[in-house]
Amino acid sequence: MRDFREEEELGKAYDSRLMKRLLTYARPYWKILLLCILLLLVVTAVQLARPYLIRLAIDNHINVMNLPQVAFSEPPPEEVEYLELDGIYLARENQLEGEYPDQERYQFIRHEGNYFLIPTFTPNPETVEVTGEPGNYSAEVNGEQYPARILSAEELSEMREQDFAGITRIALFLLTIMLFGFGFHYLEVYLLHKTSQQIIYNMRQEIFSHLQDMSLSYFDQNPVGRLVTRVTNDTETLNDMYSQVIVTLFKDIFMLAGIVIIMLAMNIQLTLVTFAIMPLVLVVSIIFRYYAREAYRKVRVRLAKINATISENISGIEIIQIFNQQKRKFQEFKEINKSYYDATMRHILVYAIFRPSMDLLYSLALAILIWYGGGRVLQSTLSFGILYAFTDYIRRFFQPINDLTEKYNTLQSAMASAERIFTILDTEEEIENPARPVPLPQEVRGRVKFKNVWFSYDDDEWVLRDINLDIEPGETVALVGATGAGKSSMIKLLSRFYDVQRGEITVDGYNIKDFNRRELRKHIGVVLQEVFLFTGTVADNISLHRDDISREEIRQAAEYVNAHGFISRLKNSYEHEVQERGSTFSAGEKQLIAFARTLAYDPDILVLDEATSNIDTETELLIQDALYKLTENRTTIVIAHRLSTIQHADRIVVMHKGKIREMGDHQELLARGGIYHDLYQLQYKDQLAPSQTEEQELTARSSGQSASS
Amino acid sequence: MQQYDFKYFFLKYKKRYLLGVVWLAMVDVLQLIIPQILRLFTDDLQEGLLDGAGLVRYAFFIVLVAGGTALFRFLWRLYINGTARKLERDLRNDLYSHLQRQSPSYFQHQKTGDLMAHATNDINAIRRATGPGVVMLADAIMLTIATIAILIFTIDIRLTLMALIPLPFISLVSVHFGKIIHKKFKSVQEAFSNLSDKAQENFSGIRVVKAFAREKKEVERFEVSNRNNFLRNVDLIKTWGLFRPLVQFFSGLSFLVVIWYGGRLVILRTISLGDFVAFISYLGMLTWPMMALGFVINIIQRGRASLDRLNDIFAEEPDIYDFPGTDFDISELSGEITFDDLTFSYSDNDETVLQDINLEIAAGDTVAFLGRTGSGKSTIARLLLRMYNTDPGEIYLDGRDIREVPLRVVREEMAYVPQDNFLFSTTIAENIAFHDPEISREKIEQAAREACVYENIKDFTHGFDTILGERGVTLSGGQQQRVALARALIKRPKILMLDDSLSAVDTKTEEEILQNLESIMAERTTILIAHRISTIKNADRIFVLDQGQIIERGDHESLLEEEGLYYDIYQKQLLEEKLEES
Repeated sequence: MRDFREEEELGKAYDSRLMKRLLTYARPYWKILLLCILLLLVVTAVQLARPYLIRLAIDNHINVMNLPQVAFSEPPPEEVEYLELDGIYLARENQLEGEYPDQERYQFIRHEGNYFLIPTFTPNPETVEVTGEPGNYSAEVNGEQYPARILSAEELSEMREQDFAGITRIALFLLTIMLFGFGFHYLEVYLLHKTSQQIIYNMRQEIFSHLQDMSLSYFDQNPVGRLVTRVTNDTETLNDMYSQVIVTLFKDIFMLAGIVIIMLAMNIQLTLVTFAIMPLVLVVSIIFRYYAREAYRKVRVRLAKINATISENISGIEIIQIFNQQKRKFQEFKEINKSYYDATMRHILVYAIFRPSMDLLYSLALAILIWYGGGRVLQSTLSFGILYAFTDYIRRFFQPINDLTEKYNTLQSAMASAERIFTILDTEEEIENPARPVPLPQEVRGRVKFKNVWFSYDDDEWVLRDINLDIEPGETVALVGATGAGKSSMIKLLSRFYDVQRGEITVDGYNIKDFNRRELRKHIGVVLQEVFLFTGTVADNISLHRDDISREEIRQAAEYVNAHGFISRLKNSYEHEVQERGSTFSAGEKQLIAFARTLAYDPDILVLDEATSNIDTETELLIQDALYKLTENRTTIVIAHRLSTIQHADRIVVMHKGKIREMGDHQELLARGGIYHDLYQLQYKDQLAPSQTEEQELTARSSGQSASS
Repeated sequence: MQQYDFKYFFLKYKKRYLLGVVWLAMVDVLQLIIPQILRLFTDDLQEGLLDGAGLVRYAFFIVLVAGGTALFRFLWRLYINGTARKLERDLRNDLYSHLQRQSPSYFQHQKTGDLMAHATNDINAIRRATGPGVVMLADAIMLTIATIAILIFTIDIRLTLMALIPLPFISLVSVHFGKIIHKKFKSVQEAFSNLSDKAQENFSGIRVVKAFAREKKEVERFEVSNRNNFLRNVDLIKTWGLFRPLVQFFSGLSFLVVIWYGGRLVILRTISLGDFVAFISYLGMLTWPMMALGFVINIIQRGRASLDRLNDIFAEEPDIYDFPGTDFDISELSGEITFDDLTFSYSDNDETVLQDINLEIAAGDTVAFLGRTGSGKSTIARLLLRMYNTDPGEIYLDGRDIREVPLRVVREEMAYVPQDNFLFSTTIAENIAFHDPEISREKIEQAAREACVYENIKDFTHGFDTILGERGVTLSGGQQQRVALARALIKRPKILMLDDSLSAVDTKTEEEILQNLESIMAERTTILIAHRISTIKNADRIFVLDQGQIIERGDHESLLEEEGLYYDIYQKQLLEEKLEES
């Protein structure tokens, strides 16, 4: 479950230190990312080509009849399309590369559905009148008289045929680049997201591996939910950043730059006039960014508050009901919910103001364009196609600006997540492995020595004080004592889950600090009071996925510790899937699985924290038998809760308040009448169960223990 | 039983929704005017009908229309998105108050995490359906119909039909891909939760992992989940990545048709250049609604699924409430309690927790229940508080069956100090004054003194205003218990119940507290529940519980003489004390 109490802290949207580090994760993929950027360049170019192509279609092929025609007496010197009329070769001025100042300019004019050619050019004539009859027309343009020649339908369609062909060419070209654009676009999206997933995959692997090396105290301090969130959700937030911000930022830049370049190339003056609105856009964006960020932060914080409140009130529901405070708590919740609602309304308000005002600014730019550009078209200093293209480009210009806010939010969350992730990665394991570890002998004999061991969890209070204990190879030592006496700490130290502050612990004469931690643990088998079962089969839970433990060995181990019986009765026997951490197994059955697990690993030293839970008599006997087999000829340290274990132990060590107070065998210690005697009366005596009240006594025993704990 | 459907939501705020849709329609109408302006402008320009004043007029029209659009855009956001937020707020309030009515047994088989997910994710999905979902649907329908109508009637039907051929494909793609993407997305989510589970399991079982030195293997196993998550994401991208390029391609095809065929029509003078420009402008407007139609289906489907899940929660009726036959004339209790052959189990197939309990407690008495863990002693308190229902005729308060006493009165007249002493993350003062925030500071301090926690609280920098909980101060177990005790004492209840609530307090302080209690509780019924004899030895009567039955009863002295379980426990506790001192 996610840690709902954790408030979403939103820090800076950009932190160059974090960003630098985030980019190092992308570095191995720089070639692919570069390719993505190049692909994006093409995709953007394709997107920007359309208005330009429309402009070409308008200016060169659609809106052409009012353009000046250069009249040649022979076919024009350039490779352009022309129309021959009565020995005059007409080519459109805007198609020709050369200036041809010596050639005359002709013009087509339109009158009552017919086109006429006149041997002059007047831009945007105000009055046009054609008089006469077929073969002898004359035209009056702005009061001037010119001879006019009518264009027959065939001649007209011959001339327009080239325009049809031209439009088809443009359309085909557009189709071609669209197909490329489509392919490249898909490739870019695919590569980019795949790479981003790859980065996240690597990062998760790194965090998880790093956590595996952390000491147990780290896991004591950090709730499981929080660590899971780091591995899963925080990395997911970074995925958004890698896939949606870093590379697409280039796209926006290309887009904006491309638009500006094309516009400048088409008409510098018009571009400047249109962009007169830009300072205003900038100001509005900055103001919005500020308000949007504030609004967003409030929404997040207040949502976290709602979640925390629900979570707390569900936990405290009994208190609320017992004290009849439902009404008040509901009022409180309503207030919190309302403050969240207010925050969301403010968020809506900010967007309701910003989005439309951006649209308004776009329309303002459009109006300027119409007013100024239209005037230019009237003066014939601007072609209509360019004016059209400008209206399209200016619309596209606003798109990345609108998206910017979203990217900003993504970036902000990403920075917060990165901060949290790096904090984990920068936390070093406190218990260090030696630089050059002593290799453990192939056969560990199992001589364990505690020499003047002092230990504390928090440097505040000693949990163990000056412990001295020699354990012979093969010996079974039972640790007894009240809760808090320091028994568990002793076994944790032996596996080096913690380090001693003073003194040393040796195995076969070597200080355990000289061994590699994991190597050491391979030789020490630990059975904890609470048996943790993993998802997976029963067999997996015995072998813990060690491949060199065969099915047969698993079965043998289970048989040896009396677990085979109940396992073989399961539906799929060893392949039975463990449900919900093994909640379908009884405590005793779980114990037996744990024994089988330990035996399969065949450790040289066995460390055992006996369970105190209620176990039925039959299983209890199986467990006692299994324990006996396990400890035989193996160095064993056991935190004993069973009388039978104590009686089988070679030596009993009585711990009290962090010290070893008494040592010896059962009879000796009883006879001494010290702490052991009292402990025996308290914890173990009831276990001498007379057969007729056996069951009752067993229950009494176990609850008696927890009462004393 | 409150059940919701979308109709209910829309009817609840029908005025706001209606207006919202009207604003949206206004936006659409105004939006459709802009291309018309461009068209007239182009044609006027072509025909040479424009002068400087004409240009200014066109520019002014554009700004005017844009101003109107901005206003109505602002309004629909407030009206529709804002209303969806109102619904979200109402729904969350309803859910909260519904949860608060549920009895403890409900929360035993509901994970808090799941309930939180409902309160967050499901409500969010519903909000999206009733906000952006409505906008998209209304906008898409209105804009599509209006645009196509304008194109057909004012420009050219053949061109319109040809240009629109690719557009339905966008909707098809969007619907079809929506389905596939949804399916693949689900599989990604599964992989993701599998990844979470793996991490969760590993961290929970880290002791075993470390004890058996399985770290390397665990990293390998995590890698399997991690890779699976990666692969499924890549698989999703394969489809999802196609979506936008495909939509752009289809919308591009429409433009292609317009350039190629529309351009021809302009040359042939079937349509004007202005028509051509306006047409392109309108086409740009159609792409979005086509995509939106696909999204809307998804949003509404998810919203509906979430609504179903919430309705399942709302369908759960609390099992504890004022039953018919409740006598609302009862407004207070004197503190007399009778158990008549009480037998209880938490659910029908569970084992019996209490069996044949018969006892009477006179008003003002102090009685104690002693027993080991699991003997059923806490259940007695829970039943008296009516956290669970008993059968008729088993528990009487002031001679009335507890099922006939108003629930409010039962809880008003009792105060309970529970075992797990839950405190809220507010100030200490607010925690103590929990049953009535109006209580004066003197009384709060008085209660703290009685619970022997006054000095501890005074030691904090902010004293009684110290905030508890994760973001505040963490109290020790003993301090928590004493604050919880003060919270109960300040109520001056008719019946006070202490459920093992001094277990973390040292014996000396415990004695002091018990002494304070004596005078406070002289005229009130007190029920002490404990496993520590020191807590209860002065009670008027002591009941020893074992496996749900009363096996011994009497006062301290007589019980010791009996040499039964009570005596046993007493001896053990003496031994424990002795050990503690050695």
